[in-house]
Amino acid sequence: MKILKRFFGSFLKVIALGGYLIFALIPLYWVMVTSFKGPKELYTFPIAFLPKSLNFENYEFLFTFANFGIYFRNSLLVSLGASFGALIVSVLSGYGLSRISSKKLSNGILIGMYLTQMIPGFLLMLPLYLMLSKFSMINNLFVLGIIYIDIVIAFGTIMSKGFFDRIPVSLEEAALIDGCGTLEVLYRIVLPVSLPAIMAIFSFFFVNIWNELFLAVMFLSSNDKMTVPAALNSFISKAGISWGVMSAGLVVALLPTIAVFAFAQKYIIAGLTEGAVKE
Amino acid sequence: MKRNLKLFIMVLPTIAILILFTYIPIVQEIQIAFENYNLYNLSNIYFNGFDNFIAIFTNIDFNFVQIVLNTVLWVVISLIFQFTLGFGLALLLKKPFKGRGIYSGLVFYPWAVSGFAIGLVWAWIFNGQFGLINGILMRLGIINQGIGFLSDPHIALMSVIIVNIWYGIPFFAIMLLAALQSVPEELYEAAKMDGAGRVKRLFNVTVPYIRPTIASTILLRTMWILNFPDIIYAMTDGGPANSTNTLANYMIIKMYSFYNYGQAAAIGFIIMSVLLIFATIYLSAFSRLEKGI
Amino acid sequence: MKKVILMVLVFTLLAGIVAFSETITLNFMQVLTSPQRTAWWEQVIKDFETLNPNIKINLISPPYEQADNKLTTTLMGKQPLDIIEVRDYTIKQLVDNGWLTNLTPYIATWSASKTLIPLAWQAAKTVNDTPYMIPQSFFVKALFVRTDVLSKYGIDPNDLKTWQDVLNACQKLYNPSKNQFGWDNRGKNSPFIFPDTLATSFVDNANPNNLYMLPNGQTIFTSSQYKAGWELYIKLFKTSPQDSINWGFDSQVNSFVSGITPILMQDPDTVGLLNTMLDKDQYTVVPLPVGPTGRAYPNYGFNGLGIVSYSQNKQAAWKFIEYASSPEVNAWFNKNYGPLPISSVTYQNDPYFSTGVYSAWAYMMAHPEEYVFSNYPFNSSKWPGWTSIQQADMQSLLLGNVSLDTVLAKWNNYWK
Repeated sequence: MKILKRFFGSFLKVIALGGYLIFALIPLYWVMVTSFKGPKELYTFPIAFLPKSLNFENYEFLFTFANFGIYFRNSLLVSLGASFGALIVSVLSGYGLSRISSKKLSNGILIGMYLTQMIPGFLLMLPLYLMLSKFSMINNLFVLGIIYIDIVIAFGTIMSKGFFDRIPVSLEEAALIDGCGTLEVLYRIVLPVSLPAIMAIFSFFFVNIWNELFLAVMFLSSNDKMTVPAALNSFISKAGISWGVMSAGLVVALLPTIAVFAFAQKYIIAGLTEGAVKE
Repeated sequence: MKRNLKLFIMVLPTIAILILFTYIPIVQEIQIAFENYNLYNLSNIYFNGFDNFIAIFTNIDFNFVQIVLNTVLWVVISLIFQFTLGFGLALLLKKPFKGRGIYSGLVFYPWAVSGFAIGLVWAWIFNGQFGLINGILMRLGIINQGIGFLSDPHIALMSVIIVNIWYGIPFFAIMLLAALQSVPEELYEAAKMDGAGRVKRLFNVTVPYIRPTIASTILLRTMWILNFPDIIYAMTDGGPANSTNTLANYMIIKMYSFYNYGQAAAIGFIIMSVLLIFATIYLSAFSRLEKGI
Repeated sequence: MKKVILMVLVFTLLAGIVAFSETITLNFMQVLTSPQRTAWWEQVIKDFETLNPNIKINLISPPYEQADNKLTTTLMGKQPLDIIEVRDYTIKQLVDNGWLTNLTPYIATWSASKTLIPLAWQAAKTVNDTPYMIPQSFFVKALFVRTDVLSKYGIDPNDLKTWQDVLNACQKLYNPSKNQFGWDNRGKNSPFIFPDTLATSFVDNANPNNLYMLPNGQTIFTSSQYKAGWELYIKLFKTSPQDSINWGFDSQVNSFVSGITPILMQDPDTVGLLNTMLDKDQYTVVPLPVGPTGRAYPNYGFNGLGIVSYSQNKQAAWKFIEYASSPEVNAWFNKNYGPLPISSVTYQNDPYFSTGVYSAWAYMMAHPEEYVFSNYPFNSSKWPGWTSIQQADMQSLLLGNVSLDTVLAKWNNYWK
């Protein structure tokens, strides 16, 4: 009886997992299929569920004519750099807010962080642009990276503080009494235990920065500094959407984010908390 | 005391960056909400009190009440389904199974695409004539005329909400999965010994333990959904006939079509005020819950 | 002492010559960006730089969807910019904010200016009757038809002379159970141009300078003839899939190429796009249908080049504009891009723009008694936002939520 119950449980689990996967993959399937279609296959009725053959001309066009390689490199640089920078800043401030003795102060600052998430980002672009143009900081990938850090650190601080709150101070007390510095405690004791959270936050940073479109278009001018979302968006012109090339671009643009997620989830699901807390 | 000072210094970089790049623009933004600021004639900017707000509330072309209703539905329905489905996915992924790595990479990718681009893709998929969904339904013989997912004002809002749900599940799944990892096994052991079944364990052990994460993710996601116009802008531009227009999309229309930056900022101010009130109520209710009152 | 002065003078002279022959870098922002169009501009720039080795041009190509916004913010931030692409929709905004240079003195010394077609002058002087830009391309609507689909139903494209003919053809085609429809409707992103092009052709005394205002001071929305035109458009919409209420340009093309709606009113830059997806014998273009008045009032969309008011290199910028606007370069560019060129020399000597599908537009340009090129009030302070308002109202109307009389009264109220 128990075996049957177990089997039924697993069966349901498989159905559920399968359902999630199908739901998630619908657009990816369509984009992939479209990327392998030739221009005459794109707009047919009834629609073609599969391409006639694996046509790579969209991908060729992407990397030769549309120079996608350069944009890919730019995006990689900015995304990785800004993500790491934001991670360091967020972890520091998340820990600081978590351990600071004045709850009033930490809650006050925390509310200040939530406040930054309340305003629609679109509106902030113009004043920010005008402010930075006065200092000639336009068309600069480094400055764009700093702006990206600014976009994500409120979220990072809130989430990391939440995770650090869950780690009992007793864990650190022994080390502190032994004379360990604050940063050392963070690095040696707290971080290893909160690795799942750190990786989750990092992967969100990377993905959000990688996909950011409007700031990239606004703050970059030179063609050789463009990022991937801006390049993808340039396939939308007055004469419609070049679905063939854009699909190929979307598929290629997905690869780093999927890689980061796959890499991060190894740590997220590592279950490193066995024996961590012995009250 | 020394430690407290060190801890405070650790927070300073974040505060400094936020003040420079976010708070200063916010202040300028709020100022613009009360000005006649039109990108058509930048030499004619002047303070106009509440005129922008009155114009927004009484606009005959874009009914404000309908927009607010749409926004409420957009946020509430998206949030409920994103959270429950995301939590469900996190629970499913908690125990290891073969291929979990690749599976996660694939099932999490909706969050990995840019909102605007995926909105265009979904608009094509939902197209009432040559979209994928209709194509599949027609092939299976379920229907023989395409369903106007985005052109029927009665179902257009649900269609964009479904896309938003699709988009937001990974966020909750990943965040809650990370939180689930922190629940100590001993608590589960103790509960099992007390005879608690799976469901009881879920509600009596898991949920209370990760409540702070649940609270902060829901609050953040609410703010993000409210401020997120990309999907609607790409799929329907607020139509047909204002049936999918939300506050955020309305703001985009005011900015890019009307070039009226002042009114767009006024809408932003309204959004911010609503979220401020909501967050205050939410956080105080939550802290009372934590204290067990 | 004299020696010192002499040496200083010589050095200054030398420095002057060096500075004079130093490279000038111009910044040029286009707004109708697409990867192909960028390549064509880059070719024009390359050729220009070969002829003018001391001028280098830096092409900035923001994505089309954000380009207008990017241009505005760049100018607001006074970032270095010399040449900009000006559109019919944006010229008023750019002039009013003082960002464009008056080109009259430059045109005076430009010999090829005499070859510009009258439409080009009309476009250049749109604001304050002063030339603030030199147009490069014209967009005029014509009727694209799927010859293969139409022949199955025994419809000859050349018979589509009036809008009534088009309606008859669309109703003949309409067979929803076989997923065959007629009219390719536009639902969003400036849909006004479609019904207005049709409805204005019904009005006897339409005003070419401002199609929304009649000569007697009333708006066109009070005209019973305009209303009759709209009634025909609504019938036309009924031969279109209901989903088309949400269709933008991309969906229109998708529908045309798949054969579902074989009749499409569109601009000439659609030709290049269609040629990649259809064979030459699958479609053709016929002149815009006329109304019961025997006339049509097509508007002429345009884009052109202007010089930024705070540019430090106006003379060099003008040199490039002069080059790009020369008959040969302009013809080459538009042959690739699709829309209509600006020089009468091209129309007279180059058969490309009068043969094949382009014969439709050639016919329209050659018959001013039938085709009166007109303008919508882009320069009115009421224009920004009008397209969004009209879009929402038109969708309500076509959904049957509101009556035609109500909508016309509303629009009359807006424009009067």
